[in-house]
Amino acid sequence: MTAVTEPRAQAGSATASYAAFAIVFAIAAPVIYVASELGGFPLFTYHPGTGRIDFGFAAARTNEGPAMYWYGWLATTLIGAAIAGLAATLLPRNVIGRIPLFLIWLLPLLVLPILAYALMPFWTR
Amino acid sequence: MLSMFDFLSVNAVWTIQLIVHGLLAVALLGALTHQAMAVAAPARQVAGPSGFVTRFRNVHGASYATAICVLWVVTFILGAWIYTKYRISIRIPLERNGYFRTLGFFELKEHAAALGLFILPAYWAFWRDAKNPAYDSARKWITVLLAAMCWFSFLVGHVLNNVRGFG
Repeated sequence: MTAVTEPRAQAGSATASYAAFAIVFAIAAPVIYVASELGGFPLFTYHPGTGRIDFGFAAARTNEGPAMYWYGWLATTLIGAAIAGLAATLLPRNVIGRIPLFLIWLLPLLVLPILAYALMPFWTR
Repeated sequence: MLSMFDFLSVNAVWTIQLIVHGLLAVALLGALTHQAMAVAAPARQVAGPSGFVTRFRNVHGASYATAICVLWVVTFILGAWIYTKYRISIRIPLERNGYFRTLGFFELKEHAAALGLFILPAYWAFWRDAKNPAYDSARKWITVLLAAMCWFSFLVGHVLNNVRGFG
């Protein structure tokens, strides 16, 4: 009997842990992403003209073309949200069960207008 | 030793990658639209033969979830790769010609695609546990949001390619 129920219990536990990770990852990521974009916290800066990669935020250099921060924002967000998600797997299930799931789709909707506002130079030029 | 650049120009190689990116996006768009319709407006049982719209939304949504995740990630990675070339070869000429709103919408599309990527793990978890009623509402709205993001990204990318491609 134990041999039958244990794998099932382990599978259920793994499913619950993955769900906890995914829920907290999805809630943390938009917040970290928008903070990273507005605060200027890319993990790295890529200069496509020269192929140079600088750690953190780096301004475009004269005669070396533009600087790209989007990849750095993604890296900051993926690492930050993954840490939050992994931490969530350590929490009791009843705590995870109290997290409102609507935040997963509402937060991206809320941060999109903020990100659009941050693109103001494109709209007003 | 021969390389593909002996047969194709650099611009042709980037154009091929852009076309593959676009084709993957079409597949993703179709799958997500089917799934979103199935979950947001599920088909009712009808006595007679069902019409096109009913058949369109009468799909088994859960069976699309893994394919949609794979398509989103692969399309995203290819788009992120092309984005480096876009920044030099497309954006700078468009800035010189004053297409700032077009470029602004493209930057917003990059944000939308990234936000979609972040909710994929939850989307997959909720569809994998498709019979759990606790996830019904979140599953539905996440799917609808992903479909809306995909449509927005596809249309903006399509318009930008019309304004200036790699060719």
